[in-house]
Order: sequence, then structure tokens, then C-alpha cells
Amino acid sequence: MRILLIEDEDRLRTTLAKALREEGYAVDVAEDGVEGLHKAGQNDYNVVLLDVMLPGRDGWTVLRELRKTKATPVLMLTALDAASDRVRGLDGGADDYLGKPFDLDELLARVRALIRRAAGTARPDIELGDVRVDTRARSVTRAGVPVVLTAREYSILEYLALHRREVVTRTELFEHLFDENDDSLSNLLDVHVFNIRKKLGHDLIVTRRGLGYCIER
Amino acid sequence: MVIRSIRWRLQLWLGFLLVGVLAGFGLMVHQLQGVTQRGLLKEDLERRVAALNLAVRGGGGPASGGPRSLGGPSEEEAREVRRIPPLEFRGSGDRQRPMGPPPDGPGMSRSGRPQARIPEGAFELALSGGPPGGHAAVWSREGVLLRRTEVGPPELPIPRRPGRSTQMLFRDRDGLLECYQFTELGDCVLAGRSLQPLERAQRRLAWNLAGVGAAVLALGLGGGWWLSTRALRPVEEIRAAAERISGGALSERIATTEPDSEVGRLAGVLNATFDRLEAAFVRQRRFTDDAAHELRTPLAVLLVEAQSALSRDRSPEEYRETLKASLATAQQMRRLTDSLLQLARLDEGDGLGTALPLDLGEVARAQAEALRPLAIQKGLLLEVLTSSAPVCGDAERLGQVVTNLVANAIQYTPSGGTVKVRTVASGDDCSLVVEDSGIGIAVEDLPHVFDRFFRADRARRRAEGHSGLGLAICRAIVEAHQGRISVESAPGVGSVFSVRIPVGKAA
Repeated sequence: MRILLIEDEDRLRTTLAKALREEGYAVDVAEDGVEGLHKAGQNDYNVVLLDVMLPGRDGWTVLRELRKTKATPVLMLTALDAASDRVRGLDGGADDYLGKPFDLDELLARVRALIRRAAGTARPDIELGDVRVDTRARSVTRAGVPVVLTAREYSILEYLALHRREVVTRTELFEHLFDENDDSLSNLLDVHVFNIRKKLGHDLIVTRRGLGYCIER
Repeated sequence: MVIRSIRWRLQLWLGFLLVGVLAGFGLMVHQLQGVTQRGLLKEDLERRVAALNLAVRGGGGPASGGPRSLGGPSEEEAREVRRIPPLEFRGSGDRQRPMGPPPDGPGMSRSGRPQARIPEGAFELALSGGPPGGHAAVWSREGVLLRRTEVGPPELPIPRRPGRSTQMLFRDRDGLLECYQFTELGDCVLAGRSLQPLERAQRRLAWNLAGVGAAVLALGLGGGWWLSTRALRPVEEIRAAAERISGGALSERIATTEPDSEVGRLAGVLNATFDRLEAAFVRQRRFTDDAAHELRTPLAVLLVEAQSALSRDRSPEEYRETLKASLATAQQMRRLTDSLLQLARLDEGDGLGTALPLDLGEVARAQAEALRPLAIQKGLLLEVLTSSAPVCGDAERLGQVVTNLVANAIQYTPSGGTVKVRTVASGDDCSLVVEDSGIGIAVEDLPHVFDRFFRADRARRRAEGHSGLGLAICRAIVEAHQGRISVESAPGVGSVFSVRIPVGKAA
């Protein structure tokens, strides 16, 4: 899952990006509204975390401009948390609203919920035959037995699971799982998929040659 | 409540006024009418008395039928009068008869003077003019009632003659108005009328006036109510608008249709006040928003740092990094809270210590010299040219102003540039000037550089440890010293910050 973080406060941006990456997200960052709007327009992010008080163009403007072209889920982060501000944010097209200072766990839970909702499923558990993906704990079990996946492997599995019965192209996977600074080569994707198959069974992820991957269950 | 209402008070006053004016007017009309009617009555009586007088003297005035009637007809008329003695002898006349000569016996009196003779018919003729009614009488000079009309009061005393007056005189008695005159010979003629009809007419007039007055009063009060409603409607609108504004609709204004009317001008003044209030409120709101933002952001950093660090096992190096970041954040918060507290105190007027006479030049030199290492480190030339500048104030706070301005100048001046600090006393002011050859300030930002949390280039400023309050604090301190701070700047050329503080005398 790829996230765009638009936040002008250096320290918060760095810390938050680090925490999100540790959760297995691919994270792009923007320091101001102009850069943020540009990046959000260029890529298909799963979630945009948007600060309201930004130099250049403020969060409201970025949101309004973004909504003209994209329906990317937007979570607004702001120190303005009067009810009127929350209403303004949600009515302006934001999908969720979180006041600063926030709890990191709450932020991560809200990001997960946004991703799930965007994929059209409200349940945190995804069952793929005997394989069960718990998006809350970011854990996977096979026939009730926990299986340890690397963060990357989990991200790939989760993305495919959220788009089950759809063919997901390699490009799409790249776009959503690697951030702008990743220089992973495409064959690395094959290595991750190979490892997932080894751990969860060879018939879970089907390769559509020339198209991409698909979970058909 | 009702009495407090302006409209009701207006009504009350209008009512009083109307009642007063109407009552005065009515009384005047009533009096005038009374006087006029009485005057007419007197004229009528005078005319009758004059005619009687003429008749008694035997002349034939216009009222007695003219000279033509002096002859034969007068004999006839005299007989006519003789034929109706009861007419003449009523009341006191009976008693007077033995004392005086018979009325039908005109001739000489005992004194030998000619007895008053009334030609036949002259008496009636004298009374024939004017409105009907009224009574009359004639007395001989001895006081004998010679003639009187049948109508009239039963008691008809002879009037008293003041001296030897032959003027027409009036007397009021028992609701009668009587006019009398003594002839030169001493005979007395009298004509009178009852005042009753006049009084009745006056009463009728009073009632009519009261009725008209009541109608006018009702009309006036109705009109007054309508007028006051119209006049007070804009006031009511202002009240409603002010209520909405005080209820929180700060951008609401009073609609003025007639800006030049009294109420329109009031509304204009109120609107201007509301504008200023709203602007102040918006400024205050922005300040608290900014303060909240500036305080909550580092708090968010602390929370994320700590929670992220604790979410899994870390290496000692990672923990050290987290702690360093947290410390830096906490220090940023401390600086910010210190600044906010200082500003709040300055706003409340107790941000300064005891004001003492001091030399601004010395303060500036000390603070600027303290920053010299920073300037050298950045490769800048720091020129300090101070002369004695006596002011009265808080040395520590003024030193803070110097430090803030000089540190700012060093910050925004690229390597190789110059920062000049000067103080000079001129006239009533001492001035401190901090000039740099730095990047300058954009024209559109110039009016805002002293604003709290001014946001030009905010991200970079915060990264350099600036709270966005430094210049705002400078201004607050300078203004607390009754001074002024100003800035001139040209982008790419440099900025000049000037502080002017009144020359201080020893307190």
C-alpha cells in the first residue's frame, strides 16, 4: 500500500514516514501543498495524509483541487479540531479527520480502515480458502497456524487479497507497494511472490502470463 | 417594563402635550366666545337704554320712530299704555304709587321740574330692536317706577346713582345683566336680559369643544403611535441585528437603507464597530489557532516518536536517535510556551520589570557583541556603532529586542555580508537601527513581519528553531516602552529594522 504524506513540519514528517514504512507501507512525502498536489495527481495512492496548515496552498485547497481529478482516500491531519473544522474537512471531500496530536495506533487503524473501504470490504479479516489475512494485526494464518511473512511479502499478499478475483498488473503492484525512493527491480517482485507461494501454497497466487497476478479464491 | 419602553413614553408625553394644548385651546375659545357674546349682549342693552333714554326725554330718536311719531300718535300710545296698567305696576310699583305721581298723569312734579314723560308707544318701540326678550324699566327722578315690561324678574330695584353720572352703567345680579342710565334730570332707564341663554350656549359650546378635543386627542395618539412605530422600526432592526451578532453571527451587519438619517448614521457607526470587533476577533482566533497548531504539532511528533520507538525492539542507536529527537521537540515546545507566556504578559501590561534609566547604546553593544561569534562563524562583518542613548526601561527586555533583531539579521544574511547595529539619541527619541545586507523581505510580507506566527517561509523558519513570535515579542516590548518599531526592506538588498524609544528621564 502506498501512502502520500503531506506535512510541512520536518520532524513530524520524518518520524511519521518512518513509522508508516515500518508498518510496511510505501510512503512518499511532500513538504507543502504544491508539491503534495503534484504528487497526488501523478500517482495512485491508497491513502493521502494531508495536513491542513500548509505553506503555499493550504490543505483545504489541496483537497478541493485533488477532488477534481481523483477519488483517492484522504485523511486530514490538523491541529484545528473544532467541530466546524471537522465538518468542513469531511464536507470538502475528506474521508476521515484526525486532530493533532494524535495517537499513532489510531492513525494506523484509520489508514487501514480507509484502505479496506476503498477496496470495498469493511471486514478486517480476509479469508482466502484456508489462508486468513488479518489486516489489523498484519498477520497471516494457514489452517489456523500462524505464518511469518516479511513486511514486503505481507504487503503484496494484502494488496492481492484486497483485489481478489481481479488481475493485478506488475505495474500496479509497483505503484502501490514501492515508494518513489525504492529502486527494487521487477524481478524482486517475482522473488517475493515465490516466497509467499512457498509459505502459503503454490495455488494461492496465480500468474497470468503477460498480465499480472491474481488470487482466484 | 411598559413605562421603560421609549414608544410608550413617547405616547405618554404626546398624550400630555395634546391634552394640554387642546385644553388650553378649548378654554380660550370658550372664554373668547363668552366675552364676545356678553359684549354683544351689552351692545344690545346699551342700544335699548339709549332708545329708552331718548324716549324718556321725550325726544324721538331713531328707535322711537323718528320725529314723525312725536305728534298725534304719541297721545294714542299714551292712552294705550294707560289701558294696561298691570303691565306697569308690578312688584314694588304698587308700593311706590302713593309716593309718586300717577304714571298716567304726565305733568309737573312737586319740585316743579318737568316730570319724565314717556310718549305713547315709545317704550315698546325702544325695546323693539335687536333680539326678542329682555326686560326694561323706567323710574322717575324720585325713584318711582314709571314703566316696566311685564317680563323680567319680579324684583326690580332701582339702581344706585353714582354721583350725578349720566353714563351707561351695568350691573350683574341673579343671572341678569342690566344696563341703566340716569338722564340729566335724574330719571333712570334700565334694560336687562337674563344671562341664562348665554350660559346655556356656553355650556353647549364647552361640550362641543370637549367632544372635538377628545376626537383630536384620539387621532393624535393614533398618529403618534403610527409615527413612533415607523420611527422606531429601524431601532428595532438594529437591536435584532446586534442580537444576532452578539449571538455569534459576527459577519452579520445592520442593513441601512437610509445611511444619512440619524438612525442610518448610528447603524453606520455600529457597523464600523462590528467590523473592528470582527477583525479583532478574527485576529485573536487566528492567533489561538496558530498557537494551538504550533503547540500540537510538536506534541504529535513526541507521541509518534515514542509510540513508534516502543512498537518494536530497537537498537540502542535507534533509541538514542528517538530520545534526541524528542528532546529537540520538547525544547522547541519550551521556547514556544515561553514566548507565548511572555506575549500574554506583555499584552496584559505586566511583561516588563521595573523601569530604570539605562543607556540603550550600552545594552545594544553588549548584546550585539555577545552574538559576534555567531556572525564570525557565518562569515559576516558585524559593525557595532553605538553612542549614548538614555532611555528608561527594562534592560533585560530591551536586550532581548537587540538579540532578536541582530540574530535575525545574521540568520538572513548570506556569508560575506554585513550587519550594522547603531544607536543614536536625537531630539526626544533614542533609536536603535539594525541593518543587514541579507535576502530582504518581500513587499507583500512587509506589513506582516511583526504579526504573531507570521507565515512567510514558515517551514524553513521553524526548521531553524524560530517560533514565529520573535518579532511580535520585539514589537510588544518596544510598545510597552512607548516606542515604535518599523522595518524597511528591499528583496536581495537587505532590511533595516528601526526601534524608536522616547528619551528617558530618571524616574
